[in-house]
Amino acid sequence: MIAMTHAGYVAAGWIGTAALLGGYAWHVVRRGRKLSRQVPASERRWS
Amino acid sequence: MTATTSPRTAAGAPQPADGAAAAPAHTGSRPTRILGVLALASSALLVLYGLVISPPDVEMADSVRLMYVHVPSATYLYVGCFFTTFASAMWLWKRTPGWDALAEAGAEVALVFSFITLGTGSLWGRPTWGTYWTWDARLTSTAVLTVLLIGYLALRRLDLDPGTRSARVAVLGLLLVPNVIVVNRSVDWWRSLHQGETVARIDPTIDGDMLVALMVGFLALGLVFAWLMVHRFRVAWLEQQADRFDLDEALALRRAEASAPTTPTTPADTAKGTA
Repeated sequence: MIAMTHAGYVAAGWIGTAALLGGYAWHVVRRGRKLSRQVPASERRWS
Repeated sequence: MTATTSPRTAAGAPQPADGAAAAPAHTGSRPTRILGVLALASSALLVLYGLVISPPDVEMADSVRLMYVHVPSATYLYVGCFFTTFASAMWLWKRTPGWDALAEAGAEVALVFSFITLGTGSLWGRPTWGTYWTWDARLTSTAVLTVLLIGYLALRRLDLDPGTRSARVAVLGLLLVPNVIVVNRSVDWWRSLHQGETVARIDPTIDGDMLVALMVGFLALGLVFAWLMVHRFRVAWLEQQADRFDLDEALALRRAEASAPTTPTTPADTAKGTA
């Protein structure tokens, strides 16, 4: 398990990474939902 | 196609008149949902291996756990740049919108991974080198690559003719892979604090549970990268279709206005017309 000496750096790195990836994924999904409503279903080839 | 005959929403998009209206309005699909579940499961495995199972390093102690995020994120930063450069070259050759969308997706996802690379690198550098940042060849070239990605995405947002804009960003996109080569080789070309290759060699210098944790890191962040790329590509595709649809609407409106007979609209106009 993690010793306290470097725990802060490790936690900041891992939590920051998770937050950035999660936030970006949420942003992309939201943009996709918004744009999907403006485009005909026939153009959403993956639907 | 129902686009010309069906009613439209407030946003202007045609709606199918039949049951096709149930088509999901998002960028997800069955394969991406499977990819997402695999990415989450492998991320959980990475937490287990990276923070619990793998032992601390003899020299770097627990800060080595940042490596399981830092090294894979740097690798997928390179992969995103490769996507952009390849798609840019293909766009310049084929001039089809799909390549332009792929180039945009690659650059944006690469930028996210470059922030992770620089952030985790700085946090790893503090306990290891005693500083968050130094103007070392590897760090500086990575920062230059990040600035280039920001510039690329800023250029994409300029209000230009779409064809002109795509051509300009495609030329800039071609420069990403040469920069990646500079970043990757910088530890060999210049004197650097940054360590050289540890994994991409026949006899990796790390082994045991640490190597397994690093491989799980590559797997987890690779699946996350793939999921983000697919969704971001679809968003870029939707943006292109929405722009095209808006242009079609505007052209149809202008044609309708041009073909309509001019009639007076106010009593003053009527008076002018009869005078």
